[in-house]
Amino acid sequence: MADPARIKTESNSENSLAARESPKTEDTEEVPVTSDADTESKDSSSQSLKREHKQDSVAGDDEDEGTSDQPASKKLKVEPEKKKEKRQKVDEDEIQKMQVLVSSFSEEQLNRYEMYRRSAFPKAAIKRLIQSITGSSVSQNVVIAMSGISKVFAGEIVEEALDVCEKWGDTPPLQPKHMREAVRRLKSREQIPNTKHKNILFH
Amino acid sequence: MAEEEDEAGFDEDLDDGAGGADGNHGKRKRLFSKELRCMMYGFGDDQNPYTESVDILEDLVIEFVTEMTHKAMSIGRQGRVQVEDIVFLIRKDPRKFARVKDLLTMNEELKRARKAFDEANYGS
Repeated sequence: MADPARIKTESNSENSLAARESPKTEDTEEVPVTSDADTESKDSSSQSLKREHKQDSVAGDDEDEGTSDQPASKKLKVEPEKKKEKRQKVDEDEIQKMQVLVSSFSEEQLNRYEMYRRSAFPKAAIKRLIQSITGSSVSQNVVIAMSGISKVFAGEIVEEALDVCEKWGDTPPLQPKHMREAVRRLKSREQIPNTKHKNILFH
Repeated sequence: MAEEEDEAGFDEDLDDGAGGADGNHGKRKRLFSKELRCMMYGFGDDQNPYTESVDILEDLVIEFVTEMTHKAMSIGRQGRVQVEDIVFLIRKDPRKFARVKDLLTMNEELKRARKAFDEANYGS
């Protein structure tokens, strides 16, 4: 049963729709990339990013009333009610803290944050890559999951490489030697999958 | 290894993901150059990262996707890649696990919202 109040706000702009559906954590701006691209052309990018953050906190309040009507709440009702309330309160605190933080960013920091949130691997290329390996088609969820963890993976490498760069007394931009040292370190921590070398027990 | 060299020759349209990061991928076109540049800037690198670093990162990402795909094909339903397999493989890494859960949940919510939106439009 659709809630008329929700429908009205949704028809206003795709942007609010995208913002409403990213309540729980702040890193969830990747899926509504297409709707973001629409607003990008209209607003200045930093303002739209700030507005999305404001609407996130608004969406947080409406979500409390809306979820009880939606059929999806059947999944959530498995958790005890108190745990859900505490989780939502923690999320709202986090959302507010993020808002305060983002509102105090400098121009350069805003640029970088925007790149961090909006950059993503093209779904078509990832899908082609996976299908060329499996030989059969894969579902859309697989592509979404794979591009998501690939981005996290790239982030881990870049962060480690920046650590290496700082430790060696160099400055960004990162050089290949930093990247390779970062890969070496992550490999020793087993964060890079490697099935080429088989451990033979009892050689 | 000889297979790689042969396929790299006429492989410009197909994206063959085989091979490690230290292999020479020769003539294969760069798939993610633009996106990786933005991503590296977002993660803390300079606004213009070195092309060699971007290439290294692209090779690493392609190797990562390849490894995950091969692993996912070997567990669960053989020969197919399903979301459950990916989630299972990622279970030990908290960041990636949380990220996948978030993305899939968000996708479900968006699909539901779009469906409700379309039905409302259709009704009125």
